[in-house]
Order: sequence, then C-alpha cells, then structure tokens
Amino acid sequence: MTLLKREEWQGFVRDVDWTPTYVDYEAIYPEWHCGTGKVPREAWQGWEESYKVSYPEYVATQREKESSTYAVKAALQRSNTFQDLDEGWKSATKMHFGGVALVEYAAVIGELKMARFGLNGSWRNMATFGQLDEMRHAQITTFFGHEFVGQDAQYDWTQKTFHTNDWVPIALRNLFDGMMVAPNVVDLAIELPFTFETGFTNLQFIALSADALESGDVNFANMISSIQTDEARHSQQGGPTMEILVEHDPVRAQWVIDKSFWGSARAFAALTGPAMDYYTPLEHRKQSYREFMEEWIIDQYIHTIEDYGLKKPWYWDEFITGLDTWHHGLHMGLWYWRPTVWWRPKAGVSKDERAWLASKYPNWENVYGDKWDVMIDQVNANNVAATLPETLPWLCSTCHLPCCNATPSRNGEWKVRTWQLDYDGKKYHFCTNACRQIFWKDRDNVNHETLIDRFLAGQIQPMDVGGILNYMGMTPDAMGDDPDYGAWTRDYIGRAVEGIAAATVQGATQ
Amino acid sequence: MTEQVRKPRARRTFSAFGEIRKMPSEYEIVTHGQNWTTRQNRTSAFEQNPSSAPNMWFKTYRDNSALQAHDWEQFRDPDQYTYRTYVNAQAESELKVHGVLEEYSAAGSAAALAPGWVETLATLYTPSRYPVHGFQQIEAYIGHMAPTSYVTNAAGLATADFLRRVTTIAYRTRELQLAQPSSDIGTDHERRVWETHPGWQPARKAVESVLATYDWGEAFTALNLVLLPTLDDVLSRQFGEIARDNGDELTWLLHGFLDADNQRRNRWSIALAEFAITQQPTSASAIDKWVARWSPIADAAAQGLATILAETPEIPRNADAVTAGAKAAREGLLRGILAPAEAVAKVSAP
Repeated sequence: MTLLKREEWQGFVRDVDWTPTYVDYEAIYPEWHCGTGKVPREAWQGWEESYKVSYPEYVATQREKESSTYAVKAALQRSNTFQDLDEGWKSATKMHFGGVALVEYAAVIGELKMARFGLNGSWRNMATFGQLDEMRHAQITTFFGHEFVGQDAQYDWTQKTFHTNDWVPIALRNLFDGMMVAPNVVDLAIELPFTFETGFTNLQFIALSADALESGDVNFANMISSIQTDEARHSQQGGPTMEILVEHDPVRAQWVIDKSFWGSARAFAALTGPAMDYYTPLEHRKQSYREFMEEWIIDQYIHTIEDYGLKKPWYWDEFITGLDTWHHGLHMGLWYWRPTVWWRPKAGVSKDERAWLASKYPNWENVYGDKWDVMIDQVNANNVAATLPETLPWLCSTCHLPCCNATPSRNGEWKVRTWQLDYDGKKYHFCTNACRQIFWKDRDNVNHETLIDRFLAGQIQPMDVGGILNYMGMTPDAMGDDPDYGAWTRDYIGRAVEGIAAATVQGATQ
Repeated sequence: MTEQVRKPRARRTFSAFGEIRKMPSEYEIVTHGQNWTTRQNRTSAFEQNPSSAPNMWFKTYRDNSALQAHDWEQFRDPDQYTYRTYVNAQAESELKVHGVLEEYSAAGSAAALAPGWVETLATLYTPSRYPVHGFQQIEAYIGHMAPTSYVTNAAGLATADFLRRVTTIAYRTRELQLAQPSSDIGTDHERRVWETHPGWQPARKAVESVLATYDWGEAFTALNLVLLPTLDDVLSRQFGEIARDNGDELTWLLHGFLDADNQRRNRWSIALAEFAITQQPTSASAIDKWVARWSPIADAAAQGLATILAETPEIPRNADAVTAGAKAAREGLLRGILAPAEAVAKVSAP
C-alpha cells in the first residue's frame, strides 16, 4: 500500500476560506492591506497557482538543497580560492552581499503579509512557502558573506548596509519598502513575485552566476544558483493575481507593473550595471549589461505583459535610451563617491576596457570618455586628491539615486539635467521624466526626504564630508577606494593633458 | 579623506554583535538584525513619507504596542532554529508521519472505525482545517509585525507548522472519505460544521476576533499564550487520547508527532514573554491584561469542543473534565510569567 497522491487531497489544503460572521469581513481583511479595489471579492475564489507543492514535498526537497549547498561551501572553505579572486569580482560580491541579504529578508516580511492578508487560502499557503524560501535566501546570503568578514572588513556590510543611512541603502529601502512590504497584497503580489522575481532577479542571479564561474568563484555561483531554484515556486503568486486584476481593473494592473518595473530598472542599473560592465574582469565578461537586459528582461518581459493584455509602459523610450547611459553615469558616481561605498569600485577604463565599452555602447567615448580622461590625467599627475569628492550629488526625489543621466541636446552635446516639479511650496528634482511622473502619482507615499534634503535641513552635522560619512555609518576600515589606480591609468602615461585637468596638473607641477 | 587608513584588528564577526568575546552561533549570525524596519535611529519603519498609512500602522501596532523591551535583538529562541535546522527536522518528522500513514492504511484501519468515532472525526477533526488555517494567518501576522527578526523567524516557522497540520488533516480527510463513503467527510460538510455547528462557534468567534486584533503584542498573547495552549490541549492531547480510547491509534500517533511543533512554539512564546517582562517590567501588566481578556474566550472555545467529545464518540470524555484539562494546561504554561490572580483583578477593576 502506498500513500495517496497529492492531487487526491490537496484540494482540502487549498480550500480553507470561510465567511466570518462574528467580526466584519472588512476587519479581518482591511481594504488597504488587501487592496481588492474594483475586483469583486468573489473573483478571488478563482485564484489558482500553476505549480503545486505540498508541505512534505517542500521540506524534503529543501533539505536536499541545503545539504548540497553547504557541502560545497565546506569543501571550498579548505581551499585558497578567495585570495586568488580578482578585486573587481570581489567588489561585485560585496555589493551583492550587502545589497541583497537583507532585501531577501524584506521579502520574508512581505510574504508573511500575503500569508496573512492574501485573498484566497491557496494564495496564503503559497506565501507561507514563500516566506520560508525568502528566509532561506536571507540566511544563506548572510552566512556566506559572514565567512569573509575576518579577511576583509567590507564584508561586514553584508549585515550592516541596511541599518545605515548610506545613500545606497536609503535608495534601496525606499524602493523595496515601497514594493515588497508596504503595499496592499494585490499590488505586492504583482510587484514582488511578478515584476521583480520573474523579471529582474534573473538579471542578478543568472548574470552573476555566469560571471562567478568565469571568475573562479565556485562558492558564490553555487549559492546564487541554488537560491534561484526556489524562485519558480513562490514567484508564481504574481500570475494568478495579475490575471484577476487585469480582468477587473486593467488600468491599475498597468500602473502597478509599470511603476515597479521602473523602480527595479533604476536599482539594477546602479548595482548590476557596474558589476557587469566595469568590475567583472574583461576576459570574463559574457555579455554587456545592455545585451543582457535585452535578452533576459526586455523580450521576456514585454512578451509576458502582452500575454496579460497589457501594453508597454508609457516610459518605454526613455527606459531603452537609458540602457546606454544610466549605469555608466551611476558607475562614474559610485567610483567618484567611492568613500561612501562598502566595496572597492574599480574604474575599469583602461584602453582595452574602453575599446570594449565603445564596441558595446557606440556613444560611450563621446559621453563619458572626456570625464574619465580628466580622472586619468589627475591620477597620472599624482593628484588623486583632486578625484575625490568634496560635495554631494543631487539625489532624485523618487529613486533617491544621483541625478546623473546624460541626455543629448539639440546641438549634439550631452548634458546631465534634472526634471523639476513645483509642489506644495517646494521645488523637487528628478533624475528622469518617469521618476517625476511616478512621484506625482504616488506623492502621498513617496514624498520622503532624500539624503540631500536632510543635509540641507541641517540634520547631518558637521556639514562636511566627515559628517556625511559618519551619518552614513561609514568607517575607515570599510570605506571604498579604487583597488588599483595604475591598472586603468598606466596606458595613458605621458600623453598631453587638456581641459580641466590641465589647470590643476599645471598648478601641481609648479 | 585622503589620509592613510590604519588597519584595525581583523573582525571575527559582524560589527552588529558589538565587542563580544564569544563567537556568535550560526543561528545568531543568520538571525540577528535582519529586519531593517526595526533598525536604530529610524524616523519611521519604512523609507517613505513618515505619515504614510503603512508607517502609521507599524508605529501604532508594533512600535507603540504595550509589549515592550529595551533591546529586542537580545531575544533568543530556546531551540535556536534556523531555516536549515527546520527543514532537516521537519523532513525527518514527515518521514515518520508517512511511515505510520502507510502502515495503518495497509492494515485498513480507517474502514474499521466505529460509527460514533467516525462522526467525531467528521465533526471535530476534519473541519479543524479551517481554524488551523486561521491560526496560520494570525501567526503570519505576528511574524510580519514582530519587532525583531528573532521573533519573526520563530513565528514564520510556526506559520509553516500550521500549514503542515492542515496538510495532515487534508490527507486524512481524503483517506477517511474513501474508507467511509457513507459519511459526509470530504464534502462541503466541513465548512458547514465550522460555520454553524454550536460546538464550534465559540472557537470560530475566538479565531475571528484574534484575526481582527492588530496590536502585535496582543495578537501574540491572544494566540500563542492563550488560545493555542488551550485549544492544543483539546485538539491535540485530549483528542489524541480519546482517539486511542476509541480504537483510532493512527490519530493518536499523528497528534503525538505534530505536537512537537506545538511544544516548540510554546517554548519560544514563553521565553519571549519572560524576556519582555525582564527587560521592561511594564510588559507584565500588558500581558496580564491581555491574558485576562482572552482567557474566557479561549475557555468558551474549549467548552464548545468539549460538548462534541462528550456526546459523539462511543467512549466519550466528560465535558467539564475536557474544559478543566484545557484550562489547566494553559495555566500551567503561563505559571511563572503572570502576576497572582488577585493582583490582576485589582488592575482590571474599574
């Protein structure tokens, strides 16, 4: 005699909704947590996940995964691979550990919200598995990052990042709080499992997994590919929610998906873009960030949303144009404000690397080359101090990232500009037009002081770089610096110096 | 910013642990300070407009709850469960569950049950997937709102334990449906019983009321310290014993396996109450007040279920004995964390 098949009894696990009578339905499922909106309550009875799983199957599978992932880790711990890794690659992993570990945990909190307020019993059950998965991801990422704390203090930021007011975590908390924890569960199921997990985590996980193997970091590849195998299970909460919302309120579905896609795209341009196009050693790069976005995000994403009867987001042209600029500008910002980051951003603009960048981004030299030339000449004139920041960049009031996007002018010149908005007696600045539009539509929630607003309001004291670094929780042992200035400047030693650099170089030599 | 940075002593662990001599355990490394909405020096839980609705919810129902501690990050689950510990333990335990399910199924035990006992299963056991799912929802809320990841993780795992229990009930519902085709097990009968049977109504009232309790400290007290210790005793311990009395050894065995989950939840729940009281003595009066408010509701729920156990099985158990047993189980668990009864009476008197 064998056990009954899952299909025979799983209907009972899924069928757990009842009609409350002792307490109002609205008190158990408050509208702003549940967000049913224009969707009639009965419509949620049709919510059905496509990939079914039972509790005993779950714990059995996950036990296997855990033991194999930790076995690989234990085996590699005895080797010296870490010491041999390239600094650029190490920086990509520091960014990942610090930027991702606690985001996984934010997803635990979000999944628990759906496990409580989801509008269908089987949705709440899927979210119960979802919070377990995210707990796994938070724990495994934290534990793997912890291993290197003794060798390099920057790995302390695996746990520390999101407890600080560094500008990077402020931007990421703003994004992830707004799409993973704070929204009602209908929006949350579309923003987190649908847009973010089926869309963007592919980017970080598949791209970085490939780069990790190329760079010889088997342990890291092992960790993130094991994490990725869980996504298919809980990310499917998005699809059924989307189907029901689109049927009853397509305008809202379109807005929720457009907004979260945009926010994710901005964050990934800051984190994954530089890691792929600048930090990963040239010989190990598989694809450019743009190529990867085109292959893994754009085609698949557009295909998916069109399947649901939705349209391309309104900002599509601005987004596509940004694939050639956003991450290059952000990379330059991360490098320039390197004392504010918990990794060692390498500039990655040697002659060979620039040739690669120019082949992938035909406008790269035109837009960014001369700025890097200034840095190169300063370094070659032994004047690294001139390449360090003395002020702060203007931050966007929606994405909280620096306003550093170059756009072409009519005369062909590329300039960084901001989009402005006068609202409630204040002038707001945005990095892009879509950030400005999102702010306007969501202003009750997203109206939040940027680091610059705090600085100008006197909340950061003393009002100098030291005060700012202290406010950001940055300590000398974790402060970022270029790991090897010579690597990207020695190609240019002895060339004639022009422009801004010429003045300071001249001054320095006198 | 350009001056040379002196290299400090190498760290052994995250700076979040402060200057400690003892290396934190794997449990502590992966659990400590994971929830950034509880970070120090924050203006609001979420990095958005401090007066947004989500921020106000967390401020009101978490940060301003009467259940307080100076430093929640010092709380430890006595079992120190991580995700890895959890899936290992539960996979192991599920193998045992499957073992007995197979063994008893091979023996044809479900078909051999006495009619009164089948009716008891149909009235008390198979409909219980609804309240257990309600517990699952409330436990998820406790985890969602908890002021430290140490509590969120314990509650998150307990949430999954309830899904495990619903899964076991579902499996047996199908098995009993096949073995007892003349019963109405596995039809819309379960929901009807849960929604209308007089024996279940006080329990349903209790579950719905805790679902609508938003303060995280009160939700935690009402569910983990009052309702569950009371109803676990009826639905697990006593029901298991009565099952064995009525020749249903399988039910008795399964409840024994699954009760380990309840015991683990009790351990961290009591530890949490003790921790809050030790760190912040005013937490004691909050817990006392909530226990006083929810205890009669839990007792009424136990009493309703006791009527079913007294009337339906071939070998019943006295209703008052069931109710008294449940009450004693709760009081035994809470002994030591509550103020003496007279002190509570004084506090709650108008």
